[in-house]
Amino acid sequence: MNDPGATLAISGLTSGYGEAIVIRGISLTVGAGEIVALLGKNGMGKSTLLRTVMGFLPAREGNVVIDGIDVTRDAPHRIARRSIAYTPQEQAIFQDLTVGDNLRLGQVESRWFAEELARICDVFPFLGERLEQRAGTLSGGEQKMLLIARALMARPRLMLVDEISEGLQPSIIERLARVLVAERERTGVAVLLVEQNVRFALEVADRWSVLKLGEIDDEGGSDMPNAASRIADHLSV
Amino acid sequence: MGVLFLDIVTTAAILFTVASGLMIILGVMKLINFAHGAFLAIGGYAAFVTTQLGWNPWMAIPFAAVVGFVLGLVIERVIVRPLYARPLDAILATWGLGIVIGQVITIVFGREVQFVQSPLSGAIEFLGQSYSTYRLALVAIGAILALALIALLYFTRFGLNARAVIMNEDLARGLGIDSTRVRLTTFGLGAALASMAGALITPLISVDPNLGLPWLINSFMLVLVSGVSIPGLIVASLILGGAQVLVSSYVSAILGGLTIVVLAAVILRIRPQGLFSG
Repeated sequence: MNDPGATLAISGLTSGYGEAIVIRGISLTVGAGEIVALLGKNGMGKSTLLRTVMGFLPAREGNVVIDGIDVTRDAPHRIARRSIAYTPQEQAIFQDLTVGDNLRLGQVESRWFAEELARICDVFPFLGERLEQRAGTLSGGEQKMLLIARALMARPRLMLVDEISEGLQPSIIERLARVLVAERERTGVAVLLVEQNVRFALEVADRWSVLKLGEIDDEGGSDMPNAASRIADHLSV
Repeated sequence: MGVLFLDIVTTAAILFTVASGLMIILGVMKLINFAHGAFLAIGGYAAFVTTQLGWNPWMAIPFAAVVGFVLGLVIERVIVRPLYARPLDAILATWGLGIVIGQVITIVFGREVQFVQSPLSGAIEFLGQSYSTYRLALVAIGAILALALIALLYFTRFGLNARAVIMNEDLARGLGIDSTRVRLTTFGLGAALASMAGALITPLISVDPNLGLPWLINSFMLVLVSGVSIPGLIVASLILGGAQVLVSSYVSAILGGLTIVVLAAVILRIRPQGLFSG
């Protein structure tokens, strides 16, 4: 399971809040240029897994290896500086900062800011017109696009995306799917996509895993003919 | 009338300068630094040392800033940082720290009142009035300081990082911002500003180990009224400083000393979030 060449290799990871264990012994890899979807219902531990990978929650057991380096005990900012772009599900943008400042914060030192900004504005033209606007005044869908745009500003090697499609209309989900796939083609970024939207997940991802009660319950490739119905079964129980 | 106007503007500039360090630390670290008065005293004694060494009196300002910055970094690392998870204890620790600094100053320099040489003496003609040159210089210094702080917070990457940490610390950390380092730098900066302010006010007042205490209380009130913003602090300094000058001039100097605290309490009763917040 533990492929040394993987961009992200999680093995036997256990963590939780206080006394409560939320994820138990999870092992999962994301190879370079691979998109892996992690599906599961609310409360199954999907966000907890990402927060543990990012170092916000301490791992009780197991470890997290990024590009062959064990980062299990590292602080979140150190992990982020390994070109890891984490987009949380909630409170993910700075509502009171401008769109431009939010994008600037996507890069640790604004080193390639102008270059990446020009590219991001090609991908999401509306952002370029609203750089001075307060991010909190964008619509829900625009905020999610800003979130992905900010992640791309980092020139990430790995993106950890937490339920980006939640509450969005299908046309925007489709747009985000195209952006993610195009970005993977262009830069070879690896993506761990936490999702409840099976259609979106299977459209984008190469492989999928189902998280149930803190453990990986099932997994497979997106090209399996019955993948959608199999995942839907897991999510409905 | 002209003198009254100049008194109000110069008093406001002094209050802004003195309160800015307290505000920066409260804004970024959510910590009320009760050692602020002690840092003012450190600046006052830095100016005293400058006088004793026979240096140019202007040297007191950078000297005090450097001493304050270095002490601030050490104190953040040793005393404040271990208490981040316990905000009330952190506030108490700064209170205790203020007492310790006061005692150390007493041991080193003695209890007696000292005097510091002013970089500028005498008066000049301004707006048809003969007015203290040094107090007028403080207005220019206060204005430069306000512009520098606005530039730092709104036009540098450090300022952006600091604002990100203020708004959502976890999100900032997840984007690679070392919030521990932002706090360290902020505390150093706040201590440097306080110490510099101490050096700036000592030509106007005598130097003793407790010189910071009345300024601490007024600064605290100004920062609360400001709503923790730089424009807010400028306005609060003008309103409360103006009221202090008016009461001192027309009623009594003793009541003048209480004006800021009383008026701040009234303003906060009407607008608890401060002037420029929400």
